[in-house]
Amino acid sequence: MATTARRTPDDLVRTPAALAALVPRLRRICGEDGVLTDLSQRRTYESDGLTRHRSTPGVVAMPTTTAQVRDVISLCAEHGVPYVPRGAGTGLSAGALPHAEGVLLVTSRMRRILEIDPENECAVVEPGVANLDITRAAEPYGYHYAPDPSSQQVCSVGGNVAENSGGAHCLKYGFTAGHVRGLEIVTPSGEVVELGGKAPGAHGYDLLGAFVGSEGTLGVATRVTVSLTRSPQRTVTLLSAFTSLDAGGEAVGAIIAAGVLPSAVEMMDALAVEAAEAAVACDYPAGAEAVLVVELDGPAAEVDAQVRRVTELCAASGSFGTRTASGAEERALIWKGRKSAFAAVGRISPAYIVQDGVVPRTALAEMLGRIASLSAESGIRVANVFHAGDGNLHPLVLFDDAEPGAAERAEEVSGAILDLCIEHGGSITGEHGVGVDKACKMPRMYDDTSLETFDLFRRAFDPEGIANPDKLLPTPRLCGERPEVRTGVHPLVASGDAEQF
Amino acid sequence: MTDRPTDPEPGPERPFGDLLDDCVHCGFCLPTCPTNVLWGQEMDSPRGRIHLMAQMHEEDVLTETAVGHFDNCLGCLACVSSCPSGVAYDALIEHTRHRVETEHRRPLGERALRATVFSLFPYRSRLRALRGPLRAYQASGASSLVRRSGLLERISPALAAMERVAPRLSAPPPPLPELVPAVGERRARVGLLVGCVQGAFFPEVNTATARVLALEGCEVVVPRSQGCCGALSGHSGRIAEAADLAKRMIEVFETRRVERIVVNSAGCGSGMKHFDRTLAEAGAGRAWTNRARALSAKVVDLTEYLVDLGPRAARHPVPLRVAYHDACHLSHGQGVTRQPRELLRRIPGLELAELPDREVCCGSAGVYNLFRPEAAEELGESKARGAASTGARLLVSGNPGCSLQIASAMERAGSPVAVTHTAQLLDASLRGLGPDPLLGRGGGSGARRL
Amino acid sequence: MRRDLDAKEHTLREGTPDDAVCGVVPAHVACPAGTGALASLMTAAHRNGLSVTARGGGTGLAWGAPPRSLDLLVDTSALSWIDHDAGDLVVEAGAGTPLAELGRVLAAAGQRLSYDPVRLGGTVGGALATGASGPRRLLAGALRDLVIGMSVVRADGAVARSGGRVVKNVAGYDLAKLHTGGYGTLGVITAAAFRLHPLPAAVRVVSAEMPSDSRAKRALAALRGTAVVPSAVELDRPAEGPGRLVVVLEGTPEGLVSRVGETSRALGGETEVAEELPGDWGVLPAEGCLIRVLAPPAELPDLASGLGRLARDGFGASVRGTASVPAGCLYLAFPPGTSAGAVAAVLERARAGTGRSAVLLRAEPHVLAAGVDLWGEVPGLSLMRAVKDSLDPGHRLSPGRFAGGI
Repeated sequence: MATTARRTPDDLVRTPAALAALVPRLRRICGEDGVLTDLSQRRTYESDGLTRHRSTPGVVAMPTTTAQVRDVISLCAEHGVPYVPRGAGTGLSAGALPHAEGVLLVTSRMRRILEIDPENECAVVEPGVANLDITRAAEPYGYHYAPDPSSQQVCSVGGNVAENSGGAHCLKYGFTAGHVRGLEIVTPSGEVVELGGKAPGAHGYDLLGAFVGSEGTLGVATRVTVSLTRSPQRTVTLLSAFTSLDAGGEAVGAIIAAGVLPSAVEMMDALAVEAAEAAVACDYPAGAEAVLVVELDGPAAEVDAQVRRVTELCAASGSFGTRTASGAEERALIWKGRKSAFAAVGRISPAYIVQDGVVPRTALAEMLGRIASLSAESGIRVANVFHAGDGNLHPLVLFDDAEPGAAERAEEVSGAILDLCIEHGGSITGEHGVGVDKACKMPRMYDDTSLETFDLFRRAFDPEGIANPDKLLPTPRLCGERPEVRTGVHPLVASGDAEQF
Repeated sequence: MTDRPTDPEPGPERPFGDLLDDCVHCGFCLPTCPTNVLWGQEMDSPRGRIHLMAQMHEEDVLTETAVGHFDNCLGCLACVSSCPSGVAYDALIEHTRHRVETEHRRPLGERALRATVFSLFPYRSRLRALRGPLRAYQASGASSLVRRSGLLERISPALAAMERVAPRLSAPPPPLPELVPAVGERRARVGLLVGCVQGAFFPEVNTATARVLALEGCEVVVPRSQGCCGALSGHSGRIAEAADLAKRMIEVFETRRVERIVVNSAGCGSGMKHFDRTLAEAGAGRAWTNRARALSAKVVDLTEYLVDLGPRAARHPVPLRVAYHDACHLSHGQGVTRQPRELLRRIPGLELAELPDREVCCGSAGVYNLFRPEAAEELGESKARGAASTGARLLVSGNPGCSLQIASAMERAGSPVAVTHTAQLLDASLRGLGPDPLLGRGGGSGARRL
Repeated sequence: MRRDLDAKEHTLREGTPDDAVCGVVPAHVACPAGTGALASLMTAAHRNGLSVTARGGGTGLAWGAPPRSLDLLVDTSALSWIDHDAGDLVVEAGAGTPLAELGRVLAAAGQRLSYDPVRLGGTVGGALATGASGPRRLLAGALRDLVIGMSVVRADGAVARSGGRVVKNVAGYDLAKLHTGGYGTLGVITAAAFRLHPLPAAVRVVSAEMPSDSRAKRALAALRGTAVVPSAVELDRPAEGPGRLVVVLEGTPEGLVSRVGETSRALGGETEVAEELPGDWGVLPAEGCLIRVLAPPAELPDLASGLGRLARDGFGASVRGTASVPAGCLYLAFPPGTSAGAVAAVLERARAGTGRSAVLLRAEPHVLAAGVDLWGEVPGLSLMRAVKDSLDPGHRLSPGRFAGGI
């Protein structure tokens, strides 16, 4: 897709000698078919969902049990070999970018749903289970798994834990962190640790809470206990069309101000609608400059009242048509357009960059104006898809990779959008994570002390720096001399003010 | 995502490299890919195979490993349905298989197996001739001699399954006449594809199809000279063979002045709708591709056609709980999922059940179960578990291979179920036969009563 | 040392018995005027190797274990400010801000922090440091789930931030989670940002007496089968007499009609419906020993009554249990003066069984003196120690107050 990266010469991607020596031991751990050394096979793992970062893994290990994961990581720890965990490979920040001299630890074969426990309203699953499969398994009991990233039929629960995935419905239901009760993890030193369990909470430091969203830098989750949410009595999806993005934004503000808490509020601009329409014929209203998708769920009586209220508010904000869908199929059709929007943009542009940034919701209108001017100035088209309820933007920066210099200009526009997010007091990532892609942008959001504190925390788990190195935090290797995160001895210890206990 | 409204421009016009570039690596294809479901590794997913194709394309190498992964693909095209970016995986894998067949030298045993299969399947008469010995093979409890021949052992389970599930040969229905007149006022003149496997093993499906069409007011043309459509060869990369068969088919139907060509076998329909691509891939030249395109435009699945035509004949009750299985080459290959369900729902008394994981292949996949029997068996078992969970007494699909695959897996699992073709179920309803003949009760299929 | 700590931006005085943290009187008490002052104070403390504990409203000073050493008590009451972005449903507040004041400011804008405090008179920082949440956490989650950003002064006086002021943000580690319930052992919280919710138009409290455990379990199962979406489900087991199941519903007056009906049917028997929460809603007794048990929700009803029986039959002690059942959380409150033996026995029984843990949140001096293990075995302790070593290598922040002697 959006890349012009060429192949690395074969001699550079041969398994490094130090790593090759480990292969027989990896095979003993994972079995003959659980280790990939063939170059053409390893290369199929060179990227996750963000293909502009590529690197052929030194070796691929596909364990099927916690014990195997532990043994692989212990082996890595023993030899100082870096490893990178990977789930379904749908991430959008190159968080699972392989290490050329390391082990790519793939959890795609750990995909058993171990237990659905309706009495305790939870499920116990292996990390490779697809997000949506939990809901499928829980549905017969009247439950679902609330976090629903757009890639939910593919993305793995382990990946969701690593990225603290959100999804359209996190406006009401929150992110993965709020739905994980227990984790069995293998630490970067190869220790198996239980954090939490079926009780929704644990004593001591909330390591579970901090582990969720740590992008594979603190260990690998090998078993996940998630909360199940009672499926709502009624769910209604509204599709409202506006003649301008501003009017759509105004409607969102009015809905929030009215004290309505929809489960999702999504907006797409004309270009994004065009793409979705081309891909899945979602039948969105013609001539809309902005389309708002609002979902309301809960007890029937409450939802009915809210639907009336939201419809009125949309009309008052200048909507030229609101359609409501309450049947599963009709609702699915509305969502289909939204959920396939990213990949669908491939239909209207040879290449594109998906950006992920956040601004305070009240700054959305201004932000969109600034993006429009950026687009006009650069001649680079930008399609906008966003979680309007919480100010999470997903601008899709379109370009033609066949045109010289276009990719660079698109990168510039994409980067400038992030700068605008920070300027507005927002974040450089709302749900895709930092990974490799945004590691060098972290200093724009956090000062040196804060970054150093992140690193101190990371090293408590991974003193040797072998767990998904070069992700999440800027390093000189990744970003040049500055900004830098110290990796030596803690300053307090070095200054003699403190002792290491 | 089963409907694909904007097919990108036809395959041949866009170079292979361009088609590869359409993939954005989002991974949405992974959960519907049967081999990914089985083995959970990137190279056995569409996304990974596209990566391997890119390696093959850009570096002009075809490794043994890559060929293995291409061979693992069932060609079910579930990935085509689930792809939001519109990647033409069907064109990609067909081209890739063609390259594999032309450039790659397989081990001797594998070559022999393939040669046998492809000397058998496209020929109705040879298939039919094989049925006798097979039955004997079954009856004798498998003579050690036959067993030791190895080759037959690999082919035989599939053929034996066909034999087991297919109706007895003792009284095959009389061959269809070349022209079946419309019942009542004529609404259309259509051609009917007889097919090789269908024709040899399930002649009553063709009879039922012709009868349903006639009862709905169609004059049905059944050219006796028609051969195999070549889909099996085409889907396996034997493009030259496929192109020859396609040309033959084009010539046969071009002269019959039919409005549409009705197909009741999903694999054939999906192949025939892309005759132009097959001929282009084979380098057949502009004139032939144009003729192919014209013919392809006429090809329509039976269910698709009946829904378009609208019902005229009265439906009689068939009080049964029925599970409908989406044949991959119908749902993914042709985007036909709504129409068969619509037809079934219109039958009074019929209760339609959905299979879990309905988008995942049953493992039959044309001749796949002959080349990759273990994988096929595992997929079949998973599908059988799903079918059993629906509590349906009858399993319906638009492809004979699928019905066989699932039925034999269910039999092995000890939960036998009757199988039938959509056409036969419709036929039973239109003629008011009730459920008994479909469940194998009450004196066999009504086919003989035509 | 005294001179080194003295500065214009804060007041410094000697500690008194009123300042005691679990009975330990601090040498000095400082009240910094702002984050900058707190940072320089902490830098000076770092320079002098002083042990430091922070205090907000002082309501939780008897919680946790006594500090091994306490040179300096930092009073955060001057760090009191509120920055409310009503349009974004976000607020940021200084650690010393009284929760009551925060609630008033938010309510004036029709919003709230969806958190029921368990102590009256507390501050934002104190609530975070002790991390205990009250009953209404079934919809928006516990306190930890509402924090979106935090500023903390580290042991060395440096000010570090994590998260931000937008609800959706996955940049960097969520260190606020570590500090929430961390008893100030990893840093001194100076400010936190929270996500907010609109105030519901109406509240209904549906409750019914539960004469037996089996009755309570039936009612809870029936309730799980409904779609009434409760904000809180509390099983109250008083020391004497039958228990009571209390369900809080929030919504619109019209919508609540059918939800109340459905809830009443699920509870069975005679139900009471109130239109507002009781005055002491969610607040735990301010005196006496206090245990928190975390367990799989389905085990709670039996566990609550079993532990009550153990105290009564074995020790003649009365204990009141309140269980937020779906949240898997049970608080047990003992009257002041309950024997250490009774408390220890209940604690031990609560810890028996897999997937459970119990902590003595507040121990009376005689219970502490008896050497009762407050924290018990905490899974992941080795990682917790590593985190402590990394962020407070001198072990100067509230040493010994936390699990495993951290």
